[in-house]
Amino acid sequence: MMNEFKSAKESYENTPIPQELDARVQAGIREGKARYRARRGRTFRRWASAAACFCAVLAGLNLSPTVAKAAAGVPVLGGLFQILTFVDYDKTEDGIHYDVSVPRVEADSGLAEKVNAAVQERVDAHLAKARQDWDDYREAFFATGGTEEEWAGREMDVIADYEIKSRTDSRVSFVVTFGEGWVSSMEERYYYNLDIAENRDLTLRDYLGEDWVNICNSAIEKQIAESVDEEGFTFFFPADQGGFTTVDETTGFYVREDGTVVVCFPKYSIAAGAAGIPEFPIS
Amino acid sequence: MTKEETLSQFLIETQTRSYRLAYSVLQNREEALDAVQTAVCRALERQDSLRDIGAVKTWFTRILMNTCSDVLRQRGRTVPFPEEGMELGGEDPEPADESLTRRVDALPAEVGIVIKLRFYEELTLKEIGEVTGQNINTVKSRLYAGLKKLRVAMEGAEI
Repeated sequence: MMNEFKSAKESYENTPIPQELDARVQAGIREGKARYRARRGRTFRRWASAAACFCAVLAGLNLSPTVAKAAAGVPVLGGLFQILTFVDYDKTEDGIHYDVSVPRVEADSGLAEKVNAAVQERVDAHLAKARQDWDDYREAFFATGGTEEEWAGREMDVIADYEIKSRTDSRVSFVVTFGEGWVSSMEERYYYNLDIAENRDLTLRDYLGEDWVNICNSAIEKQIAESVDEEGFTFFFPADQGGFTTVDETTGFYVREDGTVVVCFPKYSIAAGAAGIPEFPIS
Repeated sequence: MTKEETLSQFLIETQTRSYRLAYSVLQNREEALDAVQTAVCRALERQDSLRDIGAVKTWFTRILMNTCSDVLRQRGRTVPFPEEGMELGGEDPEPADESLTRRVDALPAEVGIVIKLRFYEELTLKEIGEVTGQNINTVKSRLYAGLKKLRVAMEGAEI
């Protein structure tokens, strides 16, 4: 080892370590684990839904025309509607790894059609944007001196996925998530709370009553205050610096199986990216 | 212990090393923190691609280096502007040995990283090749180019 490098190495080793490093690593671990689970969950569901289709086909073959006719008049098992995975694929094309499953609400209702069209439109827009981002990135990579050798095997992940948070005979709450994995990992979520019987979108007012704004705001303010650690650190921005001020009609939420309403905010909107997508159960 | 637990523990235990490395490439506290977090997240997300847990150090360093080089490229096409509060951290070090530390940091990124991995992190040339995705001849020529630029006497250098 060259002597001249000794003191350079020492100064390197004395790089001050920011206090929040540990919290950031923990946040990375949490997020990475969740993404790993989501990835595996999608693979599992893909198998399960393939198996279900297969069974349906077998069952269909065995139905006599009379039975099939009679079955058509019977309401769908489990209520007025069902949620199916409409589009589902996992493939790599031009360096983009697509992992896409899109839900579809199957119900005899105008609302279902509207929701399906809106979901599809968002999926299309998201995939188009992802392809554009990837082209821009690749172009910049080579324009700034990247070589084929360094590029080798780079892939971007594009994810569209959904999760049913809760359902009853007539109501359903589900979340559609879009993700794009590269430099700044971005994640967008859309929330759907539907009442199929009444053919309408459900709002926070439906769940929390006329005083919904105050109920949400005080619960959220309380949880933000509780997030401050002993050193006075929190991922949440102060209200006067772009932090949380109030909920409104555009605030996203979903409903848990036990009926709890969970209010959500986009990543980076009221907290540092490390906090992920802030969620607040309102009890 | 599952592979995931072993990996998480490794990431926690080596976090200061990861940060130092990211900081030395990016020279910016916030970007280095972001890079470490992103790399940690990616590592867990792609844990299936780590086949041999014994190779975790090289495997993760490669993820971290890719993340950092993405940030550098990203920076190349955005106009940097000084962010408010950026200097609040107050931790940016004044190098003890201004001459060499500064000169290493001033090297072109692809040369600087080879020097840093070799002399600060004490990786072998083979390992440097693995973590930066270059073949060993490229690593060697960058190392020599770097040393030449630094005008460090090469006698007795174990490289």
